[in-house]
Amino acid sequence: MASTAASISSSAAQQEELSLIRLYVLRAVYFAIGILEGSQVFPVLFNHEPTARGVIPSLLSGLCLLCLLGLRYPRQMLPLLLFEMAWKYIWFFAFGLPQYLSGQQPPTFGDDFFPITFGVVLMPFVIPWGYVWRNYVTAPGDRWR
Amino acid sequence: MSQASVWRRGDGEVSLVRLYVIRAVALLAIWGLFQTVEALFNHTPMDRGVHKALLGGLWVMAFFAFRYPLKMIPIMLLEFTWKCLWLIFFGIPQWWAGVGSRQLSEDLWDIGVFGAVVMPLVIPWDYVWRHYVKAPGDRWR
Repeated sequence: MASTAASISSSAAQQEELSLIRLYVLRAVYFAIGILEGSQVFPVLFNHEPTARGVIPSLLSGLCLLCLLGLRYPRQMLPLLLFEMAWKYIWFFAFGLPQYLSGQQPPTFGDDFFPITFGVVLMPFVIPWGYVWRNYVTAPGDRWR
Repeated sequence: MSQASVWRRGDGEVSLVRLYVIRAVALLAIWGLFQTVEALFNHTPMDRGVHKALLGGLWVMAFFAFRYPLKMIPIMLLEFTWKCLWLIFFGIPQWWAGVGSRQLSEDLWDIGVFGAVVMPLVIPWDYVWRHYVKAPGDRWR
C-alpha cells in the first residue's frame, strides 16, 4: 500500500499544472527543434561522406525525433529541453566564446555559432524553472527499497 | 496485479530491480563520459566541440537519471534512438562496406552494441507505453 501511496503522490506531482501559455511556448520549442532543426539534420543521415563518423547528425536527429513527442507531452519531455540547454551552454562556454574572443576558429564555426548561441539565449526563458526545481531537484528521488 | 517484489512491479510503476538497473547505467555513463568532460577543459583551440558538448550534456543528464530514473526516461529514449539511427545510417553501412571512419570499431561497440542491444533491455517499455503513448497528452485549452 505504501508503494501505491507513493505512486499516487508522485503522479500527483507530475500532474502539477503549467499555465496554458507555458504549455504552448514549450510546444512551440519542441516544434521548432523537431521540424525546423530536424529538416536541417535529417538529410545528413541520408547524404554524407562514406567515412563520416556520424555521431553529431545521429544525436541531433534523435533529439529532433523525440521532440515531436513533446508536442503531446510537453511536461514529461522536459529532460530533452534540459539536455538541449545543457549541451549548448557547454559548447558556448567551452568552445564558442573562447574561439570567438581569440579569433582562432574552426571552419564550422560560422555554422555552429549562431544556432547554438540562439539556444543559449532562448532556453532560459522557455524552461519553466519553478516546475523543474520542484520536480527535478527538490522532489524526492525514486525509491531505493 | 501480481504481488510486488524486487522483481515485480506490483502496484508500483516499475520493479525495484529496474530502478537499480537504470541507476547502474547512469553511473556507467557518468564514469564512461568522464574523459570527454575532462576534454572540455583541455582541447585544441580549433576543436569544433559539438561532439564533446553533446556528450557533456548527456553526462549532466546522467546525474539526474541517477536520482530520478523514471522522470529521465526521455533521455534514455534519446540514447536508444540516436544510437539506432547511427547504427542504421552509419555503423552498419560502413561495416558492410569495409570502409568507415577511423573510430568505427570502437563506435560499433560503444554506440551500436550499447545503444541497440543494452538500452532496449534497460528501458522499462511497459512504463514507456503507459506514460508516453497511452497517457492523455497535456491540455491544449
